[in-house]
Amino acid sequence: MNCVELQHSLAEVEDASTAEQRAHLRTCPSCAALVKELNLIASAAGDLREADEPSPRVWNNIEATLREEGLIRPAPRHIPSSFGARWGTFGWLVPAAAMLLLSFGIYLHQQSTKPTNIIARQAPTYAPNVATADLNDEELLQEIADNSPAMKTQFEENLRQVNESIRDTQGWVRESPNDAEARHSLMDAYQQKSMLFEMAMDHTLP
Amino acid sequence: MLRNRTTKFLLLGVLVAAGTLIAETKKEFHFNVGPRAGVSVTNPYGSISVKPSQNNTVVVNAVLHSDKVEIDQNQTGNRVDIQSHLLAGADPESGRVDFEVLVPADASVTLHCSTGTLHAEKLRGDVTLEGAGAAVDVRDVSDAHVHVKTMNGAVNLDNIQNGHVEVDSVSGDVTMTSVTGPLVQVVSTSGRINYIGDFGNSGEYRLTSHSGDIDAIVPEWTSADVSARSVKGEVHDDIPLQPKSHSWFPMDKGRAFAGTVGRVAVSSTVVLRTFSGKIHLRKRADKQ
Repeated sequence: MNCVELQHSLAEVEDASTAEQRAHLRTCPSCAALVKELNLIASAAGDLREADEPSPRVWNNIEATLREEGLIRPAPRHIPSSFGARWGTFGWLVPAAAMLLLSFGIYLHQQSTKPTNIIARQAPTYAPNVATADLNDEELLQEIADNSPAMKTQFEENLRQVNESIRDTQGWVRESPNDAEARHSLMDAYQQKSMLFEMAMDHTLP
Repeated sequence: MLRNRTTKFLLLGVLVAAGTLIAETKKEFHFNVGPRAGVSVTNPYGSISVKPSQNNTVVVNAVLHSDKVEIDQNQTGNRVDIQSHLLAGADPESGRVDFEVLVPADASVTLHCSTGTLHAEKLRGDVTLEGAGAAVDVRDVSDAHVHVKTMNGAVNLDNIQNGHVEVDSVSGDVTMTSVTGPLVQVVSTSGRINYIGDFGNSGEYRLTSHSGDIDAIVPEWTSADVSARSVKGEVHDDIPLQPKSHSWFPMDKGRAFAGTVGRVAVSSTVVLRTFSGKIHLRKRADKQ
């Protein structure tokens, strides 16, 4: 049984209790970590069922995060070991990318819920700040340097260009707050950055 | 003396070549699939080329460049997954695998790689290609979604008909020749965007690059409602446009233009946008 077969077999026997599964897990730390993580998620999901609403702390955190201009400041955050096990040392990239996407989602939602003619007349209620352009970049590059040194220079240069485009378009939005195209461009720039983070994760998966 | 040295070099070259050949391993896999199968190939290092097969089979030919990589393959129903599996100590050279894959023309294909080339041709199913440094080449695809994501790899799309095309590239140049469909969208940060074609009929074409230039070369008989804008750069228009009475952005002279070319009834919507690059709408020199 190889890794792919193991992963497919989990759909049938999710606790990985068959002899074949156990034999593979003994020799494959990557799959062993995956199974461990799945077990943890399964048990956590059971706990989630008990609560109809997320803890108020969750909403407070989101509100505080959004209020601060740096949606994802590079403050070191603890990644649960099971989560980290699946993504290795890149676990921190997942919430980073997720928060980037969250910011796009909010921005997009604000646009999509307004008629176009209103968008053209109203100033944006939310525009990500320059600070987010520095989102965990150094850590991202360090991880790439450690694991895929050949790609480091390329990521560094592309990240620099994307950050520059974010700064440019943020300036544009500030100068022309009624310009829907400016906001659209800012959203594109953030999407490009999000894509870079996604690619960093994909690249390091092997 | 000189001849002796030359002989040694030749011998060394032969030994190196032989060593390389010995290290390379070829593998072939066959899968029987039904209509509209799904085929996914993930290959961290190396190229992937996909072409249509003659029947309902998926044929995978893989050249492994060392024993530090192996191929995981799996079929679940109508879906085939192929993955290069890097073993300990593998690097971009020793972990390299080159794939040639034949799939039924109606199969949906998903290709991932970090470096190398992604190539797909003569397909009618959806095509998704992603790779950080991968160069992408897609041609002769019709009635399908074509989604491409690259960081700095060049993207070349040729003869995509009735496609739903979305390209995201940070710094790779994007060249599209005869690409038409209901949606053709390119977003780039610094890559240059070249469009050579007629913008089809009643489609939406959005070409955006933050600092890259955008060049659109179209025949005179094109029908399109065109808006172009560069915030800090220049715009040039070689085709006479019927000006629009109303525009949704400031029409700064030399930085924006908007208008209609050809027949309004069948025209596509074309939006060309850049922050600091140049935009040039050119007339194609042909006899049509």
